[in-house]
Amino acid sequence: MGAKVKLAVAAVAVGGVAAAVRRRRVAKTREWVVMTVLREPRELTGDARPDALARLAEHHEVRVTAAPGGRGSEIAVRPATGQARESLRAVKQLLETGEVLRVEGQTEGRRTAVGRAVLPAAKRLARRSA
Amino acid sequence: MRALCWTGVNDVKVEKVPDPGLLNRQDAIVKVTASSVCGSDLHLLDGYVPAMAAGDVLGHEFIGEVVEVGPDVSRRRVGERVVVCSIIGCGRCRYCRQGTWSLCDNTNPNPAFLETAIGHAGAGIFGYSHAMGGFAGSHAEYVRVPYADHNAFPVPENVSDEDAVFASDAVPTGWMGADIANVGPGDVVAVWGCGGVGQMAMKAAYLMGAERVIAIDRFPERLSMAREKAGAEILDYEKTDVLDALKEMTGGRGPDVCIEAVGMESHGKGPQYAYDRAKQGLRLQTDRGLTLRQAIMACRKGGVVSVLGVYLGWVDKFPMGAVVNKSLTLRSGQQHGQRYIPRLLELMSQGRLEARHLLTHPMSLDDAPKGYDLFKNKKKGCVRAVFYPFNGHKSAAA
Repeated sequence: MGAKVKLAVAAVAVGGVAAAVRRRRVAKTREWVVMTVLREPRELTGDARPDALARLAEHHEVRVTAAPGGRGSEIAVRPATGQARESLRAVKQLLETGEVLRVEGQTEGRRTAVGRAVLPAAKRLARRSA
Repeated sequence: MRALCWTGVNDVKVEKVPDPGLLNRQDAIVKVTASSVCGSDLHLLDGYVPAMAAGDVLGHEFIGEVVEVGPDVSRRRVGERVVVCSIIGCGRCRYCRQGTWSLCDNTNPNPAFLETAIGHAGAGIFGYSHAMGGFAGSHAEYVRVPYADHNAFPVPENVSDEDAVFASDAVPTGWMGADIANVGPGDVVAVWGCGGVGQMAMKAAYLMGAERVIAIDRFPERLSMAREKAGAEILDYEKTDVLDALKEMTGGRGPDVCIEAVGMESHGKGPQYAYDRAKQGLRLQTDRGLTLRQAIMACRKGGVVSVLGVYLGWVDKFPMGAVVNKSLTLRSGQQHGQRYIPRLLELMSQGRLEARHLLTHPMSLDDAPKGYDLFKNKKKGCVRAVFYPFNGHKSAAA
């Protein structure tokens, strides 16, 4: 593997490690994962509660409150795990756009052996942390 | 199919890669007819954007023909000739609805890279690293376009490919630079950088009523182009003290609006430039701020500094004192292209806006590595190299 390729892979790895360090720190200090979704609280609660939100509530405590100024609803999920963060983002996408955007299966050129090993882990961190 | 892949720092190769398929119901597949290099690609090539991996397909400024649409695409049709915005918006989050498309909440599947680095993640961008979503780029025969109804725009029949391709990024970015600075009648506007974006900012400023536009660069061919095609007065910063010249040209006031279209790898002269190079080289700062500092220093009291150049991290010696004590307004952003593209295509169709002169080097996709060499090193007067994946005979660069 050439030096340039190693450098590229290192860049990805550094990003991943930074995200991991951040995640660890956040997990200790933050209790809830909260995101704002452009939907009225009445569309997210009671009988109207969407299936995606109901599924999230099976394993997490979920709180829905009105966001100020017509900004929709603030959905809070506890505990603030990486999985909760990824799931809540998916719920937000689903509620706002009707689908969860995928990049797996995209066109790509030749990955190096290190790239193949590091990239999925870095992406996983990039979805679950911060 | 063939695609141009990033393979390491300053190393790109044309590789055989799998054809893209529909991954979401709102996707379209676009057959790329023309795909331009962009100054912002150079930060990827030079290794300043982290989260690149060998095998990533480059390119984000392109036009093509819709060849397949997902079942939930309602506005785009197979066979349409479209320009696609380089920045991907979902069209339905609060930011997209407000017209601030590059802040889209839903199109970056890898948000933690940016959340960690800058606090929040912006929209995904084609071919612009895994930090910007990891979307395959447009320097390829085909590209997958997410949320096609919101990101692909039909091109009027009388607008050429050579104009329309720049409606993807350079034209709306330049336009936005003048728009967010509220350029209006009587304004004097100075623009740092005479690349595609800078030149389009100059044209936009005139179309918005600016009285004078002053272009700053060092490459004679780019300065001539800014003078001849954008009607700007020109300053060569290697031959002129820019701050003195701008004061002289504006009755001592300074420009009303200063648009910075250079970015984190700015070039300059003197000890300040040497300082920035050294610190960036040692990774003690991520971005070189020479032109940004100059724009802030030059701007008139109460004026607007509009930053279009790509900055990714930290700039040292930022003249905050000038911002505060001159009551400056600082505006910036990645382009909210979807807000501008329909209007820009209309202006092109009416013959009031043209961009094709930026295309100095039409090339086949196979010659793309050569194209990036010409573009990066400003060889042979290259302002923009544009790759034609299905039109080998267009290669005229060598």
